[in-house]
Amino acid sequence: MSTVRSRGTLAGTVLKWVVLTAIALVMLIPMYILVISAFKPQAEIIQQPLLIDLSTFTLEYLKEALTSEKFNVVRAYGVTLSFVLMVNVLGIALAAPVAYVIARGRKKWHLGMLLLFVSGLFIPGQVTLIPVVFVLRVLGLINTVPGFILFETAATLPVTIFLFSAYLRTIPRDIDEAAALDGAGQIRAFWSCIFPIMRPVVATIVVLNSISVWNDFVSPQIILGPSSGIYTVTTGVYSAVGQYSTDYTVVFPTLLLAILPAVIFFVFMQRHIIGGLVAGATKG
Amino acid sequence: MTATVTAPPKAPQQPHARAPRRKPVRSRLPDLIMAGPAVLVFVLMFIVPMILAFVLSLTDWNGYSLKFDFIGLENYRFAFRNPRTVDAAIFTAVVAVVGTTLCNIVGLAVAVLIAAPGRVNTVLRTIFFYPYIISSLIIGFLWSAMLQPNGVANSLLGHVGVGPLPFLIDATWAKGSVIATILWSSFGFNMILFIAGIKSVPTEYYEAATVDGASRWQQFRAITVPLIAPVLTVNLVLTLVGLLKVYDVVLALTDGGPAAGTQTIVYQILKDSFARSALGLGAAQSVVLLIVTAIIGLAVTFARRGAEQKVAA
Repeated sequence: MSTVRSRGTLAGTVLKWVVLTAIALVMLIPMYILVISAFKPQAEIIQQPLLIDLSTFTLEYLKEALTSEKFNVVRAYGVTLSFVLMVNVLGIALAAPVAYVIARGRKKWHLGMLLLFVSGLFIPGQVTLIPVVFVLRVLGLINTVPGFILFETAATLPVTIFLFSAYLRTIPRDIDEAAALDGAGQIRAFWSCIFPIMRPVVATIVVLNSISVWNDFVSPQIILGPSSGIYTVTTGVYSAVGQYSTDYTVVFPTLLLAILPAVIFFVFMQRHIIGGLVAGATKG
Repeated sequence: MTATVTAPPKAPQQPHARAPRRKPVRSRLPDLIMAGPAVLVFVLMFIVPMILAFVLSLTDWNGYSLKFDFIGLENYRFAFRNPRTVDAAIFTAVVAVVGTTLCNIVGLAVAVLIAAPGRVNTVLRTIFFYPYIISSLIIGFLWSAMLQPNGVANSLLGHVGVGPLPFLIDATWAKGSVIATILWSSFGFNMILFIAGIKSVPTEYYEAATVDGASRWQQFRAITVPLIAPVLTVNLVLTLVGLLKVYDVVLALTDGGPAAGTQTIVYQILKDSFARSALGLGAAQSVVLLIVTAIIGLAVTFARRGAEQKVAA
């Protein structure tokens, strides 16, 4: 690459860095404002957006947002995190065995099953949401956690099964036979011998599913609904910030608290997140 | 196991149908146990609703009871004649086309500039990409707070003697603000896929081209673009299909306003379905959206397949 770069003129290089720096500033300034504004009174947020004055620096608004009666953010962290865990465990428990059957089978119905699941990749969730409400109402699961988990889990199946079965095809069949020789049944052999080998692709899926469940707004808003009294981070932010969008001493601290877990997750899992997104997009 | 599967499934040759003795018995039942639950959940939450969407679109279901009457194609007729829906469809199309174009141009341009390994480039990649992992509802609220008439953006513009600009209170400006916010929050995703594509291009190609005296622009046109054609397809389809259902960011940024100027199709569907309790109408619009999404997704894929093959040939 160095030979390539040396061909660029000095002006070109300068222009490149000016452009990149400008974009970087546009990307970072909103986040910077979000963070510092969480510690400032309203007047100062508006008059001095970029500065932080130590004499008016205050934790009061952040504390208010943390203890707000409208939106219990700590509880919402717990609720959303437990949804993320449930959907991950249930989704993987359902998807891994069926992906194994699909990957090892060579009959038409195996391919048919794969196509059935993959068709889900092309169906926008919003399209099925209305009839899903109908199905859940019939089952008596509307506005309940099991109903929500059922829908979110089903929504993860297409990508999960697609990536799992693609991965399992790369695992030699010898391992199946070795496991069978142990005398273990097919199901036990799968969970004890094959599933542990799937670790990399399971990690990818956990990352993808966690981000999508954590950030989902429409499904919890519609399926759980305000009547359930259960708020995720997104539906809680919507109910807390929705009405007060010009009271910045509510908006910024609430938004800061809402993004904090996602940002921490991103900082630690960045490589996995990017790798997972690339795998999910290019293989799917 | 292997023997079972490779054996040609021609039952007629063996009148005593039971074929190889233990294999089918051994593999069928566990297969069913392993595949059954996932199939059941998926059919219940995806396939049945898909079919129900068509059925419900022909009814006046209000969402609360389980009772409804069939009213034929009335919902479709109403949706296509309703100026609200037509406006929403037009705005959605604009967002999808302009948003996809901008996200991919910026994503590709930045990807080309920072695809090379190195610490600075890694940091830049993180900076450009990070909004993607934040919920678009929260992105919408953040930009809404900044673009209000008395918000941070106008305050900053005031310091340099510009404005105030009607970012969210003028319909045309608000449309631009929606698209700009989408660009800000998601070109990083396109960039990441483009970088993955660029990295898969063998460096020898560039070295050979440099030796031959090709300029960087010529290298970009003759090597990079053709070789990342499949990534471009993925990027176009994902962005386009994703933007056709854009909702969260609009809800938080403009709430469809001002004067309903930034309502999208999904905004319209959810409003009709849940605020107006006309789920039959919502279902009809969903069915139209599904068909349009499928057509566009397939059309772009096929059009791009043509382009990809031309390159391969």
